[in-house]
Amino acid sequence: MIIHVDMDAFYASVEERDRPELANRPVIVGGSPQGRGVVSAANYVARRYGVHSAMPTVTAARLCPEGVFLPVRMERYIGVSQQIHDIFQRYTPVIEPLSLDEAFLDVRGSEGLFGDAVSIAHQIQRAILDELQLHASVGVAPNKFLAKIASDLEKPRGFVVVEEAQVQSFLDPLPVSRLWGVGKAAQQRLHGLGIYTVGDVRESEAELLQRALGRHGMQLWELAHGRDARPVVAEREAKSVSHETTFSEDIIDASVLRASLLQLTEQVAWRLRRHSLQGRTVQLKIRFQDFTTLTRSQSLASSTDRTDTLWRAVRELFDTRLQHPLPPVRLIGMGVHGFDNESMPAQNDLFMEPDAGSELDQLNDSLRERFGDAVLQRARGLRRPGQEKG
Amino acid sequence: MKFTISRETLLKPLQMVNGVVEKRQTMPILSNILLNATPESLTLTGTDLEVEMVTRTQLENAEPGEATLPARKFADICRALPEEAMIEISVEGDKATLRSAKSRFTLATLPVVEFPNVDEINNPYSFQISQKYMKGLIDKTSFAMAQQDVRYYLNGMLLELADNTLRAVATDGHRLSMSEVGTEHNPEEMIQVIVPRMAVMELSRMLEDSDEMLEVQIGSNHIKFSLNDVTFTSKLIDGKFPDYDRVFPKNSDKQVVTNRMLLRQALTRTSILSNEKYRGIRLQLSSGVLHTMAHNPEQEEAEEELEVNYQGGELEIGFNATYLLDALSAVDTEEVKVWLSDPNSSCLIHGLDDEQSKYVIMPMRL
Repeated sequence: MIIHVDMDAFYASVEERDRPELANRPVIVGGSPQGRGVVSAANYVARRYGVHSAMPTVTAARLCPEGVFLPVRMERYIGVSQQIHDIFQRYTPVIEPLSLDEAFLDVRGSEGLFGDAVSIAHQIQRAILDELQLHASVGVAPNKFLAKIASDLEKPRGFVVVEEAQVQSFLDPLPVSRLWGVGKAAQQRLHGLGIYTVGDVRESEAELLQRALGRHGMQLWELAHGRDARPVVAEREAKSVSHETTFSEDIIDASVLRASLLQLTEQVAWRLRRHSLQGRTVQLKIRFQDFTTLTRSQSLASSTDRTDTLWRAVRELFDTRLQHPLPPVRLIGMGVHGFDNESMPAQNDLFMEPDAGSELDQLNDSLRERFGDAVLQRARGLRRPGQEKG
Repeated sequence: MKFTISRETLLKPLQMVNGVVEKRQTMPILSNILLNATPESLTLTGTDLEVEMVTRTQLENAEPGEATLPARKFADICRALPEEAMIEISVEGDKATLRSAKSRFTLATLPVVEFPNVDEINNPYSFQISQKYMKGLIDKTSFAMAQQDVRYYLNGMLLELADNTLRAVATDGHRLSMSEVGTEHNPEEMIQVIVPRMAVMELSRMLEDSDEMLEVQIGSNHIKFSLNDVTFTSKLIDGKFPDYDRVFPKNSDKQVVTNRMLLRQALTRTSILSNEKYRGIRLQLSSGVLHTMAHNPEQEEAEEELEVNYQGGELEIGFNATYLLDALSAVDTEEVKVWLSDPNSSCLIHGLDDEQSKYVIMPMRL
């Protein structure tokens, strides 16, 4: 069985936990309402006002004027994410993080030690609450696709198990938008065919779906049958490490995009360092309003796990390899690949000045791991996205 | 110009001069060598504008004159002639003719005036050193020179003369080699020049293991090495060589003494199964024992254990095996001394009780 753990309103919950005076108040983490930032996370109180993540902060401020608006403390969330990861690690080494607040765990190898998957999932959810005072929603299912739907179904504090025998009864009533890759456009097309639920998809002709949606149609049909063969890939074996953000409203402001990219880069770099991976190729991914997706990549002179080097590279891609001004952007992401088969040996240099950037990263990581706190933060990260220049 | 010379007398200087003539030249004249005959001598000159090699050979009853001949063809012909052959070379108009027994070759020449002169050295500092010492300095250090590094000043060898010591230093940034010999020369101000890699290699070919003195003249832009019948001039690299003294580790608390050949053999064997690209090898040191370990991406593994003279704490450190082997091959004492401190600090190698040549190697994070 596969477990999907998804933290509830992660950034906002961390802030709420760290500052008890925020309890029961709408907490919105993101760019400042004065600037042109985007909401990174909103707690459940704020969500009642209609605020949700990836919404421009200005909109959130209008919907929820009494909201507590906090800047993103990425280093802090990374630190807490590490603590969550440490809990996972007690139960299985096969962990595939999707982002700071979400991961797949394959526990098939540990069921003999810690009980069945359901019991392990309970233990993990309980440990996260007891030790970190944070809530997680958990899905347990035969594969990744089902586990992810399950964790989302009863959020927050959800705990949903899908047994092999219940797969169809679980899936069939769900709206098609629950299927991976079904956004507004695909949803409309499916509705046009009279397909509203996952059950409808399952009962349609595969060819019909293929005609309507191309290759993706076939995938949907497979998913609707609860079939998903993708394994949980532990980060150590990963061929690439990447992060991306989908904005709820399309973004035009390049400075907001740059600020998002920096956050993504910090997360990616930290994950690389944690797994002693060094990549040689940096990729930028950008998806526009009309769903056209562009990727731009460049290879570095040598592989790296350094935040500043990766940031320079991805920023250069963003600034020079895209046609500015950009059309409205829906998604932005960055990734690193090109790892060596084994962790790359690195020849030290006799004359290289002590590697200031790398030492900063190491110091930062170790402080983060020891104190789990944003002791150090890049100056750019302190600025509000709306104030970003060039 | 007309003279007769034996194949054996001509071949050695001709090949030496040919060494500096590059194969693919953009300027046609640079593919030629300059011949200059007086009644008693023949001078051959080759250049690539960076270096110039001039050789002098005895002649008898020559008809004086000058000409430039295509270097490669000229040398190929002489080499292909039978041993002990006598070669007659004559130039008329723009054709040169080589005759030997029943063979005859006519070669095209290029005007002598086109042949470039390397600048004269102004106010050089001159000193002498026996050529075997100079050759020793090169042999013990040159392998560490960089090749086409963007830090262009590393693509050569530092020659330093100060305090009655002539010192050669080479480094590619990963390892450094230094060798020195005593001399009676003691310039008022320390002399430091960087000789380009190419020139160092040519010089090494020119030198022999003999006591014959080599004259060295150092100018501001050029260096000139003269033996009896060969003169070699090179431009210098205009740049600042790194402060090599700073590179020698000062706080190494772990000293290992061991038989040089045994260590070299162990490393050679172990390195067979190291990653071919990175050549990483792991050394594990504990009292009395050195373990060498390597593995490659195919998960093949090599491990050796070597008894060494060492008392102290344990240490595990990685190196590029090639760098260690290069240094161990350059040392010529029976025992070597290896200084280490921690996995991130450089290692110092030299012969036991012999610090004339020293090698510093930076570790590799494996």
